[in-house]
Amino acid sequence: MKTRIKEFRARYDMTQEDLARKVGARRETIVFLEKGKYNPSLKLAYDVAKALNSTIEEVFIFED
Amino acid sequence: MKEKMTMVLGIGVTTLVVFTFAFYILANPGVDLFDIISIPIILIIVLSSTYLIYDKWKNIKAGLPTKDERLTNAAQKAGYYGFIAAIWSAVGSNMGSIILNDESLSGNYVVAAVVLISGIVFMASYFYFSRKGD
Repeated sequence: MKTRIKEFRARYDMTQEDLARKVGARRETIVFLEKGKYNPSLKLAYDVAKALNSTIEEVFIFED
Repeated sequence: MKEKMTMVLGIGVTTLVVFTFAFYILANPGVDLFDIISIPIILIIVLSSTYLIYDKWKNIKAGLPTKDERLTNAAQKAGYYGFIAAIWSAVGSNMGSIILNDESLSGNYVVAAVVLISGIVFMASYFYFSRKGD
C-alpha cells in the first residue's frame, strides 16, 4: 500500500510528530505508514485522512 | 496519568529485579551451569525493560502516546510467541536435562527456565515486530 502522507504533510507544513500527536499515534507509526510498511486500521486511516483535511481514498492508495 | 503510573510500576519492578539479582550473586559466590545460562538472560530482560521505560518517558515528554495500535498488535504477536516458548521450554528443559545429564530437573529449575525463556522470547519478538511493521 502506498500513501501520500508525506506530500500532504508538506502541504500543511506539518511534522511527523505533529501528525502523530493529532491522531494519537506514535511518531514511528507515522514513519511506517509513510514508507507503506504498515496497514493501519480503518479508524487510524480515517484519523490520518481527517488530520490532513482529506479523505482515505486520497491519502491511501490501495494496490491489488 | 495511567501511563505515568505504568512507568513508575515498571521502574519499581525493574529495580526490585536488579536488587534481587544482586543479592543472589552476593549470596552465591559459586557459579554453576544454570547461572551461566540464566544470568545473561536476566541481564537482557532488565536492559530491554529499562529501554522500554526510557522510550515511554521520551514519548510522555514529547506529549505523544506511549502505545498505539501498531504496538498493541506487536505486543499481541509477541505474547503469542512467548506463550509457545513457555510451553516448549517446560517440555524441552526437562527433556534436555534428561538427555544431557541423565536426570530430570526439579520443579524450581523448570519454572525458572519457563519464565526466563518465555521472557526473552517475548522481548525479542516484541522488539522485532515493533521495528518490522506489518
